[in-house]
Amino acid sequence: MAYYIARRLGLAIMVMLTISFMSFVMLKMSGDLAISLAGEGSGADYVEFLRKTYGWDKPLPVQYWNWLIKALQGDVGTSFYYGSPVLSLIAERLPATLSLGAMAITMALAVAIPLGMAGGRAPGSIIDRIALFIALLGVSTPIFWLSFLLILVLGIQFAVLPISGGGSVRHLAMPAMALAFYSMPAIIRISRAGMIEVMRSEYIRTARAKGLRPWQIYLQHALRNTLVPVVAVASVQFGFLLGGSVVVENIFAIHGIGYLTWEAINQNDYPVVQAALLAVSAAYVVLTLLADIVNMMIDPRIRLE
Amino acid sequence: MNSRITGSVPAARLWKGPRIPVGRWGLATGVFIIGFITLVAILAPWIAPYSPYEQSLANRLVQPVFMEGGTWGHILGTDHLGRDYLSRLIYGARLSLLVGFGTIVLSAVMGIGLGLLGGYFGGRVDMAVMFLLTVRLSLPIMLVAISLVGLLGNSLPLMMLILACFLWDQFLVVTRSLTMRLRNAEFVLAARAAGLSNVRIMIGEVLPNLVSPLIVVGTLEMAHAILLEAALSFLGLGIRPPDSSWGLMIAEAKDFVFFESWLVNIPGLAMLVLVAGITFLGEGLRAWLAPDSSQ
Amino acid sequence: MTTSLRKNVLSLLAATIAFLPVHAFAGKDNDTLVAAFQAKLPSLDRYHSPGREGFLLGLLAYDALVYRDPNTFELKPLLATAWRQVDDKTWEFDLRQGVKFHNGDQMTAEDVAYSLMYAADPENKVFNRMTGGWIERVDILDPYKIRVVGRDVAPLALEYIIQLPVVPKKYRESVGIQAFSEKPVGTGPFMVAERSGNDVVFKRNEDYFEGGGKSKPAIGTFIYRAIPDVNTQVAELISGGIDWAYYIPSDQAEKLKRMPMVDVINAETFRIGFLTLDAAGLSDPASPLKDERVRKAIAYSMDREAMAKTLVGGASKPIPSACTPSQFGCFADVTQYPYDLEKAKALMAEAGYANGFDIDIYGYRSRPVAEAIIGYLNAIGVRANLHWLQYSAVIQARRDHKTPIVIDDFGSAGVNDVGAILPFFFAESPDDQSRDPVVTQAVKEAGTIADQDKRKVLYETALKQIADKAYWAPLFSMPVNYVMSKGVDVPVPADENVEFWRASWK
Repeated sequence: MAYYIARRLGLAIMVMLTISFMSFVMLKMSGDLAISLAGEGSGADYVEFLRKTYGWDKPLPVQYWNWLIKALQGDVGTSFYYGSPVLSLIAERLPATLSLGAMAITMALAVAIPLGMAGGRAPGSIIDRIALFIALLGVSTPIFWLSFLLILVLGIQFAVLPISGGGSVRHLAMPAMALAFYSMPAIIRISRAGMIEVMRSEYIRTARAKGLRPWQIYLQHALRNTLVPVVAVASVQFGFLLGGSVVVENIFAIHGIGYLTWEAINQNDYPVVQAALLAVSAAYVVLTLLADIVNMMIDPRIRLE
Repeated sequence: MNSRITGSVPAARLWKGPRIPVGRWGLATGVFIIGFITLVAILAPWIAPYSPYEQSLANRLVQPVFMEGGTWGHILGTDHLGRDYLSRLIYGARLSLLVGFGTIVLSAVMGIGLGLLGGYFGGRVDMAVMFLLTVRLSLPIMLVAISLVGLLGNSLPLMMLILACFLWDQFLVVTRSLTMRLRNAEFVLAARAAGLSNVRIMIGEVLPNLVSPLIVVGTLEMAHAILLEAALSFLGLGIRPPDSSWGLMIAEAKDFVFFESWLVNIPGLAMLVLVAGITFLGEGLRAWLAPDSSQ
Repeated sequence: MTTSLRKNVLSLLAATIAFLPVHAFAGKDNDTLVAAFQAKLPSLDRYHSPGREGFLLGLLAYDALVYRDPNTFELKPLLATAWRQVDDKTWEFDLRQGVKFHNGDQMTAEDVAYSLMYAADPENKVFNRMTGGWIERVDILDPYKIRVVGRDVAPLALEYIIQLPVVPKKYRESVGIQAFSEKPVGTGPFMVAERSGNDVVFKRNEDYFEGGGKSKPAIGTFIYRAIPDVNTQVAELISGGIDWAYYIPSDQAEKLKRMPMVDVINAETFRIGFLTLDAAGLSDPASPLKDERVRKAIAYSMDREAMAKTLVGGASKPIPSACTPSQFGCFADVTQYPYDLEKAKALMAEAGYANGFDIDIYGYRSRPVAEAIIGYLNAIGVRANLHWLQYSAVIQARRDHKTPIVIDDFGSAGVNDVGAILPFFFAESPDDQSRDPVVTQAVKEAGTIADQDKRKVLYETALKQIADKAYWAPLFSMPVNYVMSKGVDVPVPADENVEFWRASWK
């Protein structure tokens, strides 16, 4: 077990290094940062001066190496636009995105698991078709359309929730709903499949034979069985939420990482973009590592392989 | 749950998704929808009432005929530049389908290629392939895509390449696991004994056996591709004006979502139908071609 | 516990604890004006806050020596009570006495010298190098009198002085730049109270001085809220979550006009839209744009009237010349190219392009405008491939000689002089795609002399040449829609710089 974890950790570190190098290269190619920093209408000599100051005239691998050394010491650079250390910017924004993601995944799980399981219990029934239709909607609805629909109905028409900003749980409700809808399809399908599998399997028949009542069977056996893949899918979805909440954070004006990254990209504020990409990738890598460890603990069969 | 996990890739990533009880009825619906849309796309120059490029600023934002203020002159109304929406929808089908199909071909080549290499050779080669997969899965798609907007601007082939880079994982996983199973099958060993090169074996002996599950993967990922294109068009990368795809039409209509919502709803509905059609087709094919496979 | 279950419990906990009331209601009852902006204030230190938002910050929380009236463009005293030009390169300023910074410190010549020299030093990388870069040194004659000496003759010296706020030397040096940008101190009508999430909260400066061009605010609290999506701003205006927003696109503004809870005002700005054409063939030695007839055809092909009216909307009008009409030196009586499709096609044929040609076009600001332009070009056979990038990427591409046509706009940094726009796009600047000796000579000379009449004549020469040769296709002015709740009155400026201290409840 320890060996497995160590190996996974090693893999995770290598992945992070690769991603950091890739995003470094990508960002360097994305536009002249000196121009962006110098501002509209600056002369070419000032731009050149900035280039030298930041060391952008050195070869790429050297620049990456310099960045890496500093990053390992906790210094991921200073934002051009804000002038403050990137690490503090990210630390400031991460909680909002995390809360949003947590709220969204909770809502998604709360609705999608029962829905999927109900559908799986009776494949082909009305409830099943409804579940699958919602799953289909979830992958084909443009997220901004849904967001504005929520704003229209809950923010203007019925005015029960505040629209922009992220100051409280009430502020996060609408964006979380939009994101949750997006995450539901995968969870619905997984729960549903798990349910079908369980319904067909041996120990359900055994449990029935033993005289256990249906709801006991579903809750205890079905749920436990579905748990492994649901944990896996939920963690993947959470990872997507972290990266994919750009649109939602933009629309609802939430002070999170997605919004930060979007702004930084528009400003060519490359230290921030790079650090944000890394932060999200790191979160994803950590989450999946945790999910695998949890799964290993739940289901011994996986451990044996 | 029923996928056997091999190699060092964690369980989280290999979950493929279950079947939908679609049956013959679903397959037929899927075929009908895709067929209809493809036909519309091919016949576009003959059935579209106007040119999709003809702009008329005096005629902006006319409602569709079924809303008040609409006229039969423009059945689905006009957009923010006065272009006929029905015509744009018809022509948009072309690019949406082209992107879907083209992207899948590219990602299939990448994913199948890598899958064959990893599954056939195993060992170090396989470790490298799995590492690539893990890196790819750890990248936040949306953020990377947005970063690339500033990097390279927009161009159709480039966009398809970028999309393909996000969609090859399923091809890889399926190809690899099936190749691993077949690696030690009799006919492969026989071919090796006969002195055939590894490349010949991979392409000539192993690959043909994978065609049907890969077709299924292809149809499912095509839906994914079309949706990703819509999302990327939203961000400004992809189809260039004055051309249109349904994704771009939805993106362009973002600022009209409150007061002129038909501009978003119409292409949105079209996209929903297309995705549904592809999904039914894919699931129907899977049920038909490989009813008991655990993949 | 599994990950998902744990999250469940945590969120529930968070929900019960964090059920806070919605923070800072907008409106009269709270004496709080909430204004929405698309971009955030990057830093609360004016010197490190670029762009329009930084400019606004400079006006709200800080003061400069001189103040310019946004409607009459008249210069008025602010932190300086009087000023005079001593020689070609030197300006002398008498400073106002008794002005206090928000932390109670007195403002003196030390602070002024410190601030100006901070802006002048390239090492400091302030928001816009040009604004301070012309200063060589500041001489302190006595605690309330200074002289600013430029490196060269600087005809725009006063325009730049307007943009350079005075910051407290003692406080800033003691806490350091980083801390200053979080807890800034200035002399302005508002002081920064706190910053939370997307909001920056400003409170009225009760001790704001009288006698200068600005006045003490009528409203007690002003909140700057960053809301990036314009549709959300519209929703909040309707729901009453915010009191004020600007740059609302014309389609939405039209709809908002019919709503009872808001007023919509359309006002001019300095910003103008235009196409830059690669006449010198920098992007392609065989470029069709080298032919004057092709450039003229492009100019004739666009219905600027229609675009101004329907896409930009409001007070937008086609502009006659390569400058903002109100600017000093903007000569308007130059060759015009009204919308004439036939003439455009004829010119194309005459130049040998009856079958048209393919070309790349770059843009970054308004997508609908770009598409409309592409549509017009299409009609005369110019098949334009759109490259939609961020502003800096487009400018870089132009400087790298990759851009045949750019859909560009320029606000001249609010400077009311043609000398703030022509030198950037002509006279052999990195963005000069005409390389015309007549224009170059005229513009360069006008930038080095102080005689205003002579400068006017030189700019006239340059602008005439630019129009004759169609180096640019000037498009339209870009006015702005201001939307505010009916309960508040915020005066609308002529130059995009809103003076929130003049806002009042109705």
